[in-house]
Amino acid sequence: MPCERKPMRYGHSEGHTEVCFDDTGFIVTCGNDGDVRIWEGLDDDDPKFITVGEKAYSLALKKGKLVTASSNNTVQIHTFPDGEPDGILTRFTTNATHVAFNGSGSRVAAGSDFMVKVVEVADSSQQKTLRGHAAPVLSVSFDPRDEFLQASASCDGAVVVWNIEDQTQTVSWPLLQKTNDVSNAKSLCRLAFRPLLAVPVETKVHLYERGSWDHVATLSDDLLTQQINVVAWSPCGRFLAAGSVGGSLTVWDANSKLCVEQKHEKGFTVCSLAWHPSGSQIAYTDTEGCLGLLDGASESKPAKDYDDLFDEDDDGRLMDEGLSDTNSPAKKRGGDEDEDDDFLVPSTGRVRNRGAILDDENSMKFRDDDDAGSTVAPEAAPLAPLHPVYEGPMPSAPQKAFQPGSTPAHLTHRFMMWNSVGIVRGYNDEQDNAVDVEFHDTAVHHAMHLTNSLGHTMADLSQEAVLLACPGTDELASKLQCLHFSSWDTNKEWMVDLPKGEDVKALCLGQGWAAVATSALMLRLFSIGGVQRQLFSLPGPVVCMSGHGEQLLVVYHRTAFDGEQALGVQLLQLSHRKKQLISGEPLPLSPRSYLSWLGFTAETPCYVDSDGVVRMLNRSLGNTWTPVCNTRETCKSKSDHYWVVGVHENPQQLCIPCKGSGYPPTLPRPAVAILPFKLPLCQTATEKGQMEHYWRSVLFHNHYGFLSSSGYEINEDAQNESQKEQQELLMKMFALSCKLDREFRCVELADLMTQNVVTLAIRYASRSRRMALAQRLSEIALEKANQIQEDEPEEPDYSSVRRTSVCGSGKPTSSSGQPRVTNILDNMTSSRKSTPLSRSAGNLSKNPVLKPLAPRSKTKPKTGFQLWLEENRKNIIADNPDVDETDVIKEAMGRFRTLSAEERL
Amino acid sequence: MTSLSTPRCFWLVRFAARETAMDPSEVEFLAEKQLVKIIPNFSLDKIYLIGGDLGPFNPGLPVEVPVWLALNLKQRQKCRIIPPDWMDVEKLEEMRELERKEDAFTPVPSPHYMELTKLLLNHASDNIPKADEIRTLVKDIWDTRIAKLRLSADSFISQQEAHAQLDNLTLMEINTVREFLLDSLNCMYKLRSNLQPGSRKGQLTDY
Repeated sequence: MPCERKPMRYGHSEGHTEVCFDDTGFIVTCGNDGDVRIWEGLDDDDPKFITVGEKAYSLALKKGKLVTASSNNTVQIHTFPDGEPDGILTRFTTNATHVAFNGSGSRVAAGSDFMVKVVEVADSSQQKTLRGHAAPVLSVSFDPRDEFLQASASCDGAVVVWNIEDQTQTVSWPLLQKTNDVSNAKSLCRLAFRPLLAVPVETKVHLYERGSWDHVATLSDDLLTQQINVVAWSPCGRFLAAGSVGGSLTVWDANSKLCVEQKHEKGFTVCSLAWHPSGSQIAYTDTEGCLGLLDGASESKPAKDYDDLFDEDDDGRLMDEGLSDTNSPAKKRGGDEDEDDDFLVPSTGRVRNRGAILDDENSMKFRDDDDAGSTVAPEAAPLAPLHPVYEGPMPSAPQKAFQPGSTPAHLTHRFMMWNSVGIVRGYNDEQDNAVDVEFHDTAVHHAMHLTNSLGHTMADLSQEAVLLACPGTDELASKLQCLHFSSWDTNKEWMVDLPKGEDVKALCLGQGWAAVATSALMLRLFSIGGVQRQLFSLPGPVVCMSGHGEQLLVVYHRTAFDGEQALGVQLLQLSHRKKQLISGEPLPLSPRSYLSWLGFTAETPCYVDSDGVVRMLNRSLGNTWTPVCNTRETCKSKSDHYWVVGVHENPQQLCIPCKGSGYPPTLPRPAVAILPFKLPLCQTATEKGQMEHYWRSVLFHNHYGFLSSSGYEINEDAQNESQKEQQELLMKMFALSCKLDREFRCVELADLMTQNVVTLAIRYASRSRRMALAQRLSEIALEKANQIQEDEPEEPDYSSVRRTSVCGSGKPTSSSGQPRVTNILDNMTSSRKSTPLSRSAGNLSKNPVLKPLAPRSKTKPKTGFQLWLEENRKNIIADNPDVDETDVIKEAMGRFRTLSAEERL
Repeated sequence: MTSLSTPRCFWLVRFAARETAMDPSEVEFLAEKQLVKIIPNFSLDKIYLIGGDLGPFNPGLPVEVPVWLALNLKQRQKCRIIPPDWMDVEKLEEMRELERKEDAFTPVPSPHYMELTKLLLNHASDNIPKADEIRTLVKDIWDTRIAKLRLSADSFISQQEAHAQLDNLTLMEINTVREFLLDSLNCMYKLRSNLQPGSRKGQLTDY
């Protein structure tokens, strides 16, 4: 029985925790933070939770009822999994230490100070109080046959079996060490009452037979040196798991009395254990609040047991539980199964019978049969489907639509949006349903507090507006609300109702427009003032959208299989020359991950998947996506995450580190951390790998090319800077290759250099006496020089000329954004340049906060050629009347070259 | 906290004309050069100061600035201060336990931990989670250390040692004890030299 112990993960804050499985195999835990969490699995980073009080001491789950012992000394019921409060079952003078359901889920036992109460779930007035313990009660457990018997262990050292009906003690064993309080007890002494009553005593487990109450066996193990804290029977009743104070887990086979599994982790006290309904996993929690899982605990053997049981003891089963057998299998799953206290929920009807049968007088004989049979090869699990099943790839559940930079909608306090402009928080509790908008730059707008009477769940924020949307209800249509705070008229708000039956799924804001994707697979484009501008259909259900400047990025679902997400992506340019830059190409994701963030750097689309890989569009390589960073590599533990709020080309990335969770809470206000980019190139630790930062630089600066080609003003200082950096890196790589005698590689590198740098490289080569290399390099240099002459029209000089001639010069900078600079340091204002931060991208690279760009309008000092061109343009056009602009320039270039130096001046 | 209302140039002048003993506020002045992270809510290019360049400031992006600037900006509601890593209840509790356990002085998280705590908690307590607990903890650490310092000064004098080694002391702590220790040594010297004129004077000059 090879078990795999999975790494522990953070579950609750430090302190006593408990765990159990629900019928469907979800792990349910409670802890000192007063929350009951419902985990889909150990890797679930986003568990649902139900707050039951300040602290939760114990929980029991059965038939959709969640019973918890909380710090206000009550035992409460909540519905499960909705978490609606369903009344208070009983009260004690102090907090209850342990609660347990009986097999049918009709009664709950709770132990507290000196007494045990047994309460009918349906009618909490029907209580039985069992008095007689001389100290606080440690744990309680119901008789599996529900015959009004119940066991409890107490701090006075006694383990008592009670007759509930008479409220008398049937039998009492003084087994435990006496203490005066639960907190001082060495062991929690969680009992397990199913076929036999298992009592953890020191480092051993005593087994008592039901009825005769004889001590039939003692389970122990040499390796077990510490007090056993908890015990739990497997759903089949054959295996007994125990967790000790020292953190070790032991599984015994109750038939052979042999230890079949020993797992030890230098850890903290295991304070709760639960078997998966199928018996294949054991979940456990420790006093540090960590949740662990032991996988593959007993898969094959118990399976055989079930079948044996079924064959041999049919009548016993009918006799004992005939009632529930009339239920449909589906119903059985949900419920009437027999349980040791609060732990287990077996998934089949058969399993339940095991306990009943083993209580028969001939149970020991039966066990022998069982053992004999266990040499037979294991049969298929009882749950094995009887009808043929399609076993090919299964469609995977598509991820839900989300807003990048928001935390899950079910939270009462959550981030609806965190982007480079500001933060939108949503509050939805008893007192208040409100939305708070806060701007990083207070000069954009002051913070806003809006009452959220419509129940908005989605938000986006830009320098111009706040966009909010709510899903539709039966009566009300889905609404879109826009607070256009930068509007210059007095009406700062507009609202649109979507057609009936169409819900907003995702929304985003760009510069001057707002986009909304709906459940009708439609994308509606509004102007920021509320004019409906465009409408088109999406190829699949939207996942999320992001807008920046005039670019709109939409990610949608395609059909997905085997747990993977298949997403498509569209990138649209919404400027005057509207076009689709990426038309429905698949979006690469890490295996079995989903999209977790989508956005833009200064101009480049990028996204993050749930594996923490950040990918960025590489426009220079045919719009491919390059991974630039893995946030998970910097996380300390497996359950830690980085919640990405932005990516900038500075180069850096903004994240919020979250301990033990996938997203941050709103309070305390999370601090932003900056992660560097790290391209997953080979051998980054070595010098050579280091050098290849060149590619990083190229990648992060190739947006300049895109910007200039789409007619934006670009920051030439920054561009030159980046070019210089790239050339320097190339030169370093060149020198390194030279040193390693890799001349061919040198030539390859030289190919990437600019002409000037090649000259340097030639000098370097000749100085290090590599004449052959120098020879080749000079050929390259010559080639480059020729190329430059041919490409001259592509040079920045020329492009600015073209712009001047096309747009005309001196067009004022668009001034819709008010100057956002306030005098921060009153005595320092003189020293700083006044930068129009609104729309000009002049300081883009220095200022990583994303600001949409405006078409360039600045003119720059003209070169000699430009001046000459302006003078002679008319002549050239006159000579060649029907050529286009490029040819004019070429012609001019040719003529200019023929001029002598004096003439050029 | 006079320094926030007093121009820094005044302090420079004061330093220049400083007398022998150091004022606690002067130590605090030195502490204000420590760097702290802030999240500004304005944008501003790099500013070039004699002491070095600061910024650029981008709204929402953390940036490191000296404490004096951080507090100045905070008072004008231009930024949020991110408390230093060590200003955390758990870490300080650990430190306090260690400090209590060890006989010698343990290394402190910052050479100006006391001053920084006081400055940041007085002016930016709303940005620091569990400010009250932190204040108490730092005060505890300070008290423990000062008690140790007094104790060692006491044994230093009573055992008539000639020299002692004290590691991991901060400027503020040295400054607190300096005046008293020197004065008392002087005083003792005078008393002793009056008591035993002549013969053992040479030995006592060791103090």
